[in-house]
Amino acid sequence: MNKILLIIKREYLTRIRKRTFIISTILFPLFYVLIIFGSGYLASKSIRKLKVAVIDSSGLFTPSLVENVNAKDSSSYLTLITSNQDSLKHNYSSLGYDGYVVIPAVRWDEKIDKLPFKTNKTHGIASVMEVQNKLNIAWGKIKADSLGMDERKRSILNDKNISLKEENEKNKEANAEIATTIAYVCGILIYVIMLLYGSQVMMGVMEEKTNRIAEVVISSVRPFQLMLGKIIGIGLVALTQFLIWITFMLIIYNVGKASGSATGMMGSLAGGLQNVFTSINMPILIFFFIFYLLGGFFFYSSLYAAIGSAVNEDMREAQSLSFPVTMLIIFSIIIMSSAIIDPGGDLAVWASIIPFSSPIVMMARIPFGVPETVPWWQLTASMVALIGGFIFTTWFAGKIYRVGILMYGKKPTWKEMLKWAFRKS
Amino acid sequence: MLHTSKFAFQHNYMPILELHNLRKYFATQKAVDDISLSIEKGSIFGLLGPNGAGKTTLIRMITGIFYPDQGQIIFDGKKFDPLNDIENIGYMPEERGLYKKMKIGEQTLYLAQLKGLNATDATRKIKEWFIKFDMHTWWNKKVEDLSKGMSQKLQFVITVLHEPKLIILDEPFSGLDPVNTNLIKDEIYNLAQKGATIIFSTHRMEQVEEICDHIVLVNKGQKILDGTVQKVRQDFKENIFSVGVDQMPAILNGNTPFEVLSNKEHLFVVRIKDGSKPNDVLQYLLQQHANIHSFNEILPSLNDIFIRLVEGTPLSRQFQKIND
Repeated sequence: MNKILLIIKREYLTRIRKRTFIISTILFPLFYVLIIFGSGYLASKSIRKLKVAVIDSSGLFTPSLVENVNAKDSSSYLTLITSNQDSLKHNYSSLGYDGYVVIPAVRWDEKIDKLPFKTNKTHGIASVMEVQNKLNIAWGKIKADSLGMDERKRSILNDKNISLKEENEKNKEANAEIATTIAYVCGILIYVIMLLYGSQVMMGVMEEKTNRIAEVVISSVRPFQLMLGKIIGIGLVALTQFLIWITFMLIIYNVGKASGSATGMMGSLAGGLQNVFTSINMPILIFFFIFYLLGGFFFYSSLYAAIGSAVNEDMREAQSLSFPVTMLIIFSIIIMSSAIIDPGGDLAVWASIIPFSSPIVMMARIPFGVPETVPWWQLTASMVALIGGFIFTTWFAGKIYRVGILMYGKKPTWKEMLKWAFRKS
Repeated sequence: MLHTSKFAFQHNYMPILELHNLRKYFATQKAVDDISLSIEKGSIFGLLGPNGAGKTTLIRMITGIFYPDQGQIIFDGKKFDPLNDIENIGYMPEERGLYKKMKIGEQTLYLAQLKGLNATDATRKIKEWFIKFDMHTWWNKKVEDLSKGMSQKLQFVITVLHEPKLIILDEPFSGLDPVNTNLIKDEIYNLAQKGATIIFSTHRMEQVEEICDHIVLVNKGQKILDGTVQKVRQDFKENIFSVGVDQMPAILNGNTPFEVLSNKEHLFVVRIKDGSKPNDVLQYLLQQHANIHSFNEILPSLNDIFIRLVEGTPLSRQFQKIND
């Protein structure tokens, strides 16, 4: 036992002191925030303001109407063309337009479907949507005028719709939007950590094998101790990294609460966290996150350890053998996205109990509420299955590891590795 | 050299390790097939054999890495218990291995602790060895900065640091220059004198003859030879002598008590025919008025015996080969 502790200590300390650990601990949350906010920002930036020429055959569009809608928003710019219409159709591009539309000769109560928007290159859907919206505003105004409605009546008709907000009576603070965000964050975080640290276990085992240190060490400890020590050591590194992030979050939250007023980036971040903290049961979330993080990590990393022990220094061998395992993790992420849409559905329930996918899928369901969305029996079944699952994979991996770590030469197949695992010793 | 264990054999023989009918089969081959042997405490024991003979498998069973399929290992008088007894064994595999990126001092300390030493004792011992081997400036270096010979020395220190009762060295001199070879060799004698037993696995027969008290030769998973170096050489002698004469008398008929295998200048290698004795040779030569200035028996070297047993080539044929 004492020797496992020594191995854990070495694995943990050598990794935690590495510069890459410190850098990734600081940079990962920054990247994460950047990607979430940045992609939204970039999406809004990437919409082009299209200049569109409007040729009106219906006679319903007037210059003042077009001017009016242009003034309301600047996401695109319409120009009503009254003269030289034919030459415009040929030269719109040199005249500075991105494209043109020809409003057909229709009455105001007719529908215009699939009106061609002529361009000489394909613009994104979002940019075209802006033009469509703008034309619809103008079209709405034409219809309203023809119906004899004033501005007030129009706004009553357009703006006063019914919108729904779900209120969970058992849990007054529940907020489906925040739950969805948290579900994504948790699921993807577990996914990244399992893949990242799982492959670290695999590379660590490969390093020991190709450096030939393995034979020196296993003349002092059992092979299983060496494997388990490595897995636990690296698991603790992952846990440390997560706890540092949680601490950061708590500090931001508390600083934000203390300063009271929400100002600037820090304030809005703290404000966002405040919403999260009040709408979600944080202690439960963190507890289960740690459980599923470690459970999932042990489940998969022991498989990665077995693969690392079986191959030689060739990274491609390792990749081809680990492909099925990596696929299982990627598969979980696909199930997760549908589980977030319907967290109580059959697929979500079963995928969150089966240990192959439970770490990711269950963590995507828990933010929606325990025990309302995820009943206790499901949680218990899932946890028991995951514990059983990683005991099995660790045992299984230990058998393969014992043979593989001293085996040099040809890369084994999964079939051969199964033989190593299940033959009598 | 100073080691006296060679002569302790007849007196109170105390084995450190006994193997009884050890077998280890892998899917396609019998790696170790019914090997029994006994190694005396404090001796330097040569484990010899060609590549793939089963030496490494045998060693891995002794170091607790493999479990035997059949048979029994007795270590220091008790049934071998891998979990505890491996702390009393030091093993230097043929393929050396260290963590390349780890600092040398830290790494040595870690491996010593895995052998059951506590941190204080281990640090003290490491410092002693590092001073002895002139390595004390290496503590904060990384293994990747060391030359092959330097890391070899480090590996030796790691193997013997915890003062094991049994030290297993697989090709300990490969890659070492003569100075460092002597350094390690002296240390091996030193350790044996202090009571450690050394199993020395190698293909280098001249080193075995020089260092080992007792040898075992394995081939194709089986033991084919077992004995002291002297006894083995005596057992395999083929009545071959070297004779120094000015001129070998003409051999008139087949009546000579010997046949000439080879000659080089005035030195003849002869094999005494069955039923004749060395004295018959001398007598014959004197009768022919040959001027004899030397007469020595040629005992086969371990290398000759090794080749003969593994390939089935007798010593006398080797001389003929040279002559042809």
